Amino acid sequence: MARMKFLCDAERCIECNGCVTACNNEHDVPWGINRRHVVTLNDGVSGEKSISVACMHCTDAPCAAVCPVDCFYTTPDGIVLHDKDLCIGCGYCFYACPFGAPQFPEGNAFAERGKMDKCTFCAGGPLPDNSVEEYRMYGRNRIAEGKLPLCAEMCATKALLGGDGNIVSEIYIQRITKRGGKSQAWGWETAYHFKPAKEKNP
Amino acid sequence: MDGVANTWGYGAMTNSYNDMRNSKAMLFLGSNAAEAHPVAMQHILRAKEDGSKMIVVDPRFTRTAAHADIYARLRSGTDIPFIYGLLWHIFKNGWEDKEYIARRVYAMDQIRREVEKWPPEEVENVTGVPKEKVFEIAQTMAKNRPGTIIWCMGITQHHMASHTTRLFCVLQLALGNIGVSGGGANIFRGHDNVQGATDVGPNCHTLSCYYGLAEGSWKHWCRVWSLDYEWVKSRFDMTRQYDAGGGKTAYTMNMPGIPVSRWIDGVLEDKANLSQRDNLRAVIFQGMACNSQTRGVEMKKALEKLDLLVISDPFPTHMAVMSDRKNDTYLLPTCTQYETYGSATASNRSLQWREKVIDPLYESLPDHVILYKLAKKLGFADELCKNIKVTNDEPLIEDLLREINRGAWTIGYTGQSPERLKLHAQHRRTFDPRTLKAEAGPCKGDYYGLPWPCWGKPEMKHPGTPILYDPSKPVAEGGLVFRANWGMDYNGQSLLAGGVYSKGSELKDGYPEFDAEILKKLGWWDDLTPEEKKEAEGKNWKTDLSGGIQRVVIKHGCAPFGNGRARCHVWTYPDPIPVHREPLYTPRFDLVKKYPTYPDRKAFFRLPTRYASIQSVDHSTKYPLIFTSGRLTEYEGGGEEQRSDAWLAKLQPEMFAEVNPKDANNAGISDGQYIWLEGAEGGRIKVRAMVTQRVGPGTVWTPFHFGGWFQGKDLYEKYPQGTAPYTRGEACNTATTYGYDSVTQMQETKATLCRITPA
Repeated sequence: MARMKFLCDAERCIECNGCVTACNNEHDVPWGINRRHVVTLNDGVSGEKSISVACMHCTDAPCAAVCPVDCFYTTPDGIVLHDKDLCIGCGYCFYACPFGAPQFPEGNAFAERGKMDKCTFCAGGPLPDNSVEEYRMYGRNRIAEGKLPLCAEMCATKALLGGDGNIVSEIYIQRITKRGGKSQAWGWETAYHFKPAKEKNP
Repeated sequence: MDGVANTWGYGAMTNSYNDMRNSKAMLFLGSNAAEAHPVAMQHILRAKEDGSKMIVVDPRFTRTAAHADIYARLRSGTDIPFIYGLLWHIFKNGWEDKEYIARRVYAMDQIRREVEKWPPEEVENVTGVPKEKVFEIAQTMAKNRPGTIIWCMGITQHHMASHTTRLFCVLQLALGNIGVSGGGANIFRGHDNVQGATDVGPNCHTLSCYYGLAEGSWKHWCRVWSLDYEWVKSRFDMTRQYDAGGGKTAYTMNMPGIPVSRWIDGVLEDKANLSQRDNLRAVIFQGMACNSQTRGVEMKKALEKLDLLVISDPFPTHMAVMSDRKNDTYLLPTCTQYETYGSATASNRSLQWREKVIDPLYESLPDHVILYKLAKKLGFADELCKNIKVTNDEPLIEDLLREINRGAWTIGYTGQSPERLKLHAQHRRTFDPRTLKAEAGPCKGDYYGLPWPCWGKPEMKHPGTPILYDPSKPVAEGGLVFRANWGMDYNGQSLLAGGVYSKGSELKDGYPEFDAEILKKLGWWDDLTPEEKKEAEGKNWKTDLSGGIQRVVIKHGCAPFGNGRARCHVWTYPDPIPVHREPLYTPRFDLVKKYPTYPDRKAFFRLPTRYASIQSVDHSTKYPLIFTSGRLTEYEGGGEEQRSDAWLAKLQPEMFAEVNPKDANNAGISDGQYIWLEGAEGGRIKVRAMVTQRVGPGTVWTPFHFGGWFQGKDLYEKYPQGTAPYTRGEACNTATTYGYDSVTQMQETKATLCRITPA
């Protein structure tokens, strides 16, 4: 079975925030929530690198492991989704996530944060596909329409790749073969237990 | 653009974004493509992955520089010395393309003499770029050919801009990089139809498609428009001639108008000093971002002096709120490009047909409807649209393009009929992203969007010219040579190419531009049809409306505009060979004596224009820091459209100024605090400080997209209810200063002075 993955190629990311804007608009997320961020290291000096980060839809998702109400589930495509009707907004997943993906819309008294929100790989949630309720709670379900995540589709430089993990790997391997550098598939070791060298990959 | 056109014929990007995939070296000067042209970056980064060397030279370590193999920080406004520094190494090491220069270039020897004045030490002293770095860049460009040079407004918005762009062309000529795939002068235009607007539209110094303003030019277009020349003439002030500069006088009909960069002075300048009857008293601003124009404080005065102000835009602009006008001010809600359709011309001279996405929102109207309605009120709507079908006050867009096709022979805007462009749009997928060529399908053989020149009538099916001046292809298949636009010879040297010609040419040497007489001499006249003969008699390739001259010339493998040499020496320019001149507001006043600007001019585009009277004072004691500006990805131009978009506004919520830690410490400023940035003419803006090494010590940078504040005050309450953009901030140009290009009057925005204090 194919398995969906994200990969951001830091050699190509130019911090244009096109992915962030595409995501915000496609899912009409409230102000203050960013399902996707662009993080820049060494801003303004030699060695500056930018990378676009969202939920990586991990193989053994740590968020799911710590969730006290077990609201997470993984689709047959390897996409990690959650059920907002079960979520109690405790924030454990935020501490467990290596990518800072979970977002909380509110900051109220007694640390009440509201239901967690995160990147769905444009795959909606547990409600009926492409229903009004699904769109309202989880955003657009492009996967159900046979389309890939909009952030990667709209990436100007094709730094951000999203889709079938094998195809994503293939495109990236072609690039690094050309560049002659070593693989820097950022986040893959953490998210997908990927071993960069000759070790056998899952 | 004028500098480029005066070098080899056309003022446009020679190659394309896509063709940069074939470059072995890419030199960016005054271009921050990662933020200004993010989509172009996919071609650039692909070239880099294929081994191309990417070089960025900029006062600021931009996001483009972050991806470069070599980065050099140079002082704003010293691009000419930097290029001479490169040429010094190129000539010294014999890296120039000698054969190319001998056959295709005029007066490179005069450049060599100027280069001698720029040894490495002097280049380092003036530009601030270490001499080892200059050598490294020169060597990289020489050893990695073909290489391309990319520039944008960081170069064109200087008082030396036309000379700078010309010298960039000279560098590329010295390396033999023009007219080859992977080479070229790739000038990135700011937004989707800048090239098209320049080609067909709102220039104050020429009629459409660079025909100029001479009587013959008017007569040509009058024939295209089916108008009586005498009627058109009667619309102008023919009572007297005015000072046209350089000791000449002219009627206003034949004299460049006041350029958009100088409209303020058209309003404020003493009437007696103008080369026209009166000051500007009513102005219509159509899609005009006044916050991207310099001298905001004086602009406010000019706005308040106008009798009538009309702003036609999708959003109320900074201009709508910045002044204290009370009456006679109109906002015309105008459509965006998504609410209408038609063709737009990209940087690479390709035309793209686009569809309407939605009907116009609210009561807004498309630009061409507004113009038609205005002409109707003024009483010349019928003349405006004589050959154009009008339905419910809307001129038919297809007919507008057909009229351009009928008249625009100079730049080959003639073959791109609406039908051909629609076919391209429909079969977009059949075009190759590297070559732009369709290898199969109904557009087979065409280049995407028929990049101009697309010679002859549409029926001739010229495929467009993907790379200008590339002789490796026949003209009929998109090949070309340098234009012979300046006669046969000058000062005893030939201006025609020497033994170079485009593939398949029947003339195996240089030749002048074609007219009816030359066709007769060559015995090609009888290749014309009887109808073509009737029209072409006494005409030339630019004025023959039958297209016969172009058709026959191309049939014989030749270029209609002749086969000339690219010029290093432009005798009509203030500096025939580019020389360095310090910015009017320079931080290096010690260099002014050696590299002074021009004397003031009395009549230049109808206005007095100051140079030396500004530069002769040392402003740097009071204003010690260089002040320059640039783009953010989130916003474009004046930013009204994007600052009114929630998703973009939240990414760049506040106006800021980048300040080097050293300057911040000296001024007692910490990161994130409000500061006053005061320009050298006293305009003040209140902005957040972003303390960063992105700018070098001595340079302050701001984005230019903000508006809605004026000298510390938020103008929120002045917007019509519900229309204020989410993000408002100071327009950086409230603090910018005087300074205009000595050929085009383009404004100086990139090299002035300021000081900063905590607010």
